[in-house]
Amino acid sequence: MSNSIIWQCLTCGFVYDEAKGIPEEGIAPGTTWDDVPENWLCPDCAMGKDDFVMQEVN
Amino acid sequence: MNPIIIIGSGHAGLTLARELRARDKRQSITIVSQEPIEAYYKPNLSKALTLNKSAKDLVMKNRATLEQDLSAELLENTSVAEINCDQKRIQCIAKVNDSNEVKAFELAYDKLVIATGATPISLPIKDAKEFTLTINNLQDYKVFREQIKQAKRIVIIGAGFVGSELASDLSNNGYQVDVVDRSSWPLQQVMPQIMGSQVEQAITEQGATWHFETTVEEITKNKQGTLAVYLANGKIIETDRVISAVGLKPNIDLAQTAGLKTSNGIVIDSYSQTSADDVFAIGDCVEYNGKPLPFIAPATLAAKTLAKTLSGDKTLLKIPPQPVAVKINKCPTLICPANGETGDWKVSGENQDIEAEYVNERNETLGFALSGKKTSLKADYLSRL
Repeated sequence: MSNSIIWQCLTCGFVYDEAKGIPEEGIAPGTTWDDVPENWLCPDCAMGKDDFVMQEVN
Repeated sequence: MNPIIIIGSGHAGLTLARELRARDKRQSITIVSQEPIEAYYKPNLSKALTLNKSAKDLVMKNRATLEQDLSAELLENTSVAEINCDQKRIQCIAKVNDSNEVKAFELAYDKLVIATGATPISLPIKDAKEFTLTINNLQDYKVFREQIKQAKRIVIIGAGFVGSELASDLSNNGYQVDVVDRSSWPLQQVMPQIMGSQVEQAITEQGATWHFETTVEEITKNKQGTLAVYLANGKIIETDRVISAVGLKPNIDLAQTAGLKTSNGIVIDSYSQTSADDVFAIGDCVEYNGKPLPFIAPATLAAKTLAKTLSGDKTLLKIPPQPVAVKINKCPTLICPANGETGDWKVSGENQDIEAEYVNERNETLGFALSGKKTSLKADYLSRL
């Protein structure tokens, strides 16, 4: 069982997959949501971390 | 107790309902909307071809899901004809199924929130409505997708956020695009020329043609059913469809009729309250400190703040400068518009990787625009504001 969690932006639907990270934004694969910098912004809608909600992985 | 009634089911209205529900499981909430009630991300309407998404695909939460998530009463296809602030009641008119029949009824509120959004500005030309499409909601988007099926050539009027993104989206998908704007480069109000030129070039490489420093004077229909667009500079563009994207104006009619204070938008104080007790306004319909509050992020903040206030924790509305992502193929851009103050651009970088800082005489940062690889500097720039 994987512990990787997928998070989704409530505003625009952007999905953050901890397993994949966002290498092009300097966030390495495997970076947990907690370890994503507080000042990180959603690449699609530019909202901050506060506006993300957790989505369960099937 | 009567419910909190929210008029409008766009981003502001739905975000407010979500935040209210998160704070109070028992508060009764009613949403009245003249549109079908479904959640979608409006900025995607100007890039959905490239995302390969139909109108249906763009729906993030349908009505049934929203009803369950929000435990709210959702009255869709229902317009509000009148607000009576003294009696705290609204007059509604609902469409009955798809028929022409309507049903009128009254609702009483404890608190009322107007989130009626904004409407595309109509071009000041003859028969503008007949010859131009506007794309400001999912219904518009469905019509747009239907209308461009047989089209090859499309004229876009306006090179702001929506016009530029649409030009990128349509030209990237094989349409022959002409863009007309009175400005000298795309997004001129929010980025310096050198960056605008990069946006212009990126979209030109996809096959689009720009017509700057001119306006549309007339549109006529040719015998073959195509359209002729007459520009002030003497050029005539033959095309299949014309899209108008020249900006939005706040929907204030309802508030005005109710006797609420309005200017360009519905005037609100620092608690999002209108000039009437227990009546509030958020999103694209408002005017705050003499200015509108456009874009998604300020609407989200206003909704969150108002949810606190309406749940008994009176909270001041503070809108810090917030960035807006502009999705141009091959030239992604992040813009943080200045808050009305004028200044000068300080630009560095080259090609499509440019950083531009908007500064006043005292060298204080007022806003910024970043493109290409420089968008990764956004957190640093934000901290300077």
